[in-house]
Amino acid sequence: MTANLDTTASLNVEAAAPVDPAELRKARRERVDRTARWLLPVVVMVATIALWQWYVDAFKVPHYILPGPDRVVQALIADWSMLWPALLITIAITLGALVIATIGGVGLAVLFAQSKWVEMSFFPYAVILQVTPVIVIAPLIFIYVPSKIAGLLICAWIVAFFPILSNTTLGLNSADHNLRNLFQLYGATRWQTLRYLRLPAALPYFLGGLKIAGGLSLIGAIVAEFVAGTGGLGSGLAFKILEASYRLNIPRMFAAILLISVTGIIIFASLSVLSHLLLRHWHESAIKRDS
Amino acid sequence: MSKAPAPAPASVSAPALRLTGDFHHAGRPLFTGLDLAIADRGWTCLLGPSGVGKSTVLRLLAGLDTGGTFDGDISASDGAPVATRIAFMAQSDLLAPWLDVVGNVTLGARLRGEAPDLVRARALIERVGLAGHVDKRPASLSGGMRQRVALARVLMEDRPIVLLDEPFAALDARTRAEMQELAFEVLEGRTVLLVTHDPAEAVRLGHHLFILSEDGLTRVDVPASPPIRAVDAPETMEMQARLFHALRGRPA
Repeated sequence: MTANLDTTASLNVEAAAPVDPAELRKARRERVDRTARWLLPVVVMVATIALWQWYVDAFKVPHYILPGPDRVVQALIADWSMLWPALLITIAITLGALVIATIGGVGLAVLFAQSKWVEMSFFPYAVILQVTPVIVIAPLIFIYVPSKIAGLLICAWIVAFFPILSNTTLGLNSADHNLRNLFQLYGATRWQTLRYLRLPAALPYFLGGLKIAGGLSLIGAIVAEFVAGTGGLGSGLAFKILEASYRLNIPRMFAAILLISVTGIIIFASLSVLSHLLLRHWHESAIKRDS
Repeated sequence: MSKAPAPAPASVSAPALRLTGDFHHAGRPLFTGLDLAIADRGWTCLLGPSGVGKSTVLRLLAGLDTGGTFDGDISASDGAPVATRIAFMAQSDLLAPWLDVVGNVTLGARLRGEAPDLVRARALIERVGLAGHVDKRPASLSGGMRQRVALARVLMEDRPIVLLDEPFAALDARTRAEMQELAFEVLEGRTVLLVTHDPAEAVRLGHHLFILSEDGLTRVDVPASPPIRAVDAPETMEMQARLFHALRGRPA
């Protein structure tokens, strides 16, 4: 890997003054790759939207069946004052659930890591919670839990906590065996082994789980809102979608769906950036290598 | 690479060690009637093929789990306990990938709840030739450099007994020779047990030499010249050939 470092250094030099035609070709290929990475998805999106618009116009599709992109954008702008507060509520529920799922998932994983018996006793129930569709538990939760916000949070939490629990448990158990021996040799206490060895070793696994949980908590929040189905003050985007579908206001449905997708993408991108920042110096998955 | 002044020798005097007894794994004996005497203040090499219990001997001395039952005795010449006075270096570098070089070297201090002596850590890192790399993580170091970090950590711990479990086996020939010389120099005055399957390494470094095989432990006389021995000296090469044959089951 010294060679690796040397290559990085020499690459930098050659990037400043490219002389070798092979290097030139490589640099050009990298430039093309970098551009293609964002240009191609944008081209596909523009093409899809153009096709969609053309189809709606050419076949005179009624807007209450399939609105064109123009009408969706109009709805987004016209209904912004109604969609924006609803989006904020949905985001609040999503992030709240993600935070609780993180605390709960990591907490349970640490508890499981302390004792095989605890893990054996409770892991199956975590699996049961995970495999039972939230949409069938949600109505019960809204009966038993008086606060609607609490009900929404619980539903979203049930969906989101499992990947964090499962990945963190795996991570805590994957600490290098030889390093554990070293810690034993140093007379490290159980707590120190957890704090300085098992938790750092579990971090990449936890972050992988967190990325999945980010998307799931949004899905959980939306599903729970659908089930809760009550309007009025403090209702989220899912309720706006339900309401718009009752009124056959299809453009507004599309606008709301668009907002949910964008939210999901932003959550995923943020968690990916967080993961990269935390791992870039040491974990195999985030270290940039040549060749 | 500039050499910093040599660190102080082991602050506690290094004892001789003795391990006697039987070891059973899964109901079958791995070794019986073993009597391994490790001389004080020098390198004892334990040479043998894989699977005869070399690493088990190290783990027993270090007080680590062995997955078997040991019926015997481990003692030091000064009567003090052994397992608490040991530093350990293995074939894998045993570095925490999330800690930088200084963090890894001072890991022991942190686990003991002490404020790490950063000045000393930096001096030792410089001593093993890594002056420009103090804040790098293991992933951006080569295999040889990582073993240097591991060696700096052993020096930082400053234990009188050092156990080495094939620490140079994964290195290329040149790096291995350099690391052998460096380790031999900086570990002077400590009781060192080197487990290896490389006859050349054993001949080069050993004040005392044992072969551990399925038939048990055999002491082998080393060349008269003191280690660290030249690779190309006739007596070294002759000895190396004898050990090689002994490893293959012919008389040493």
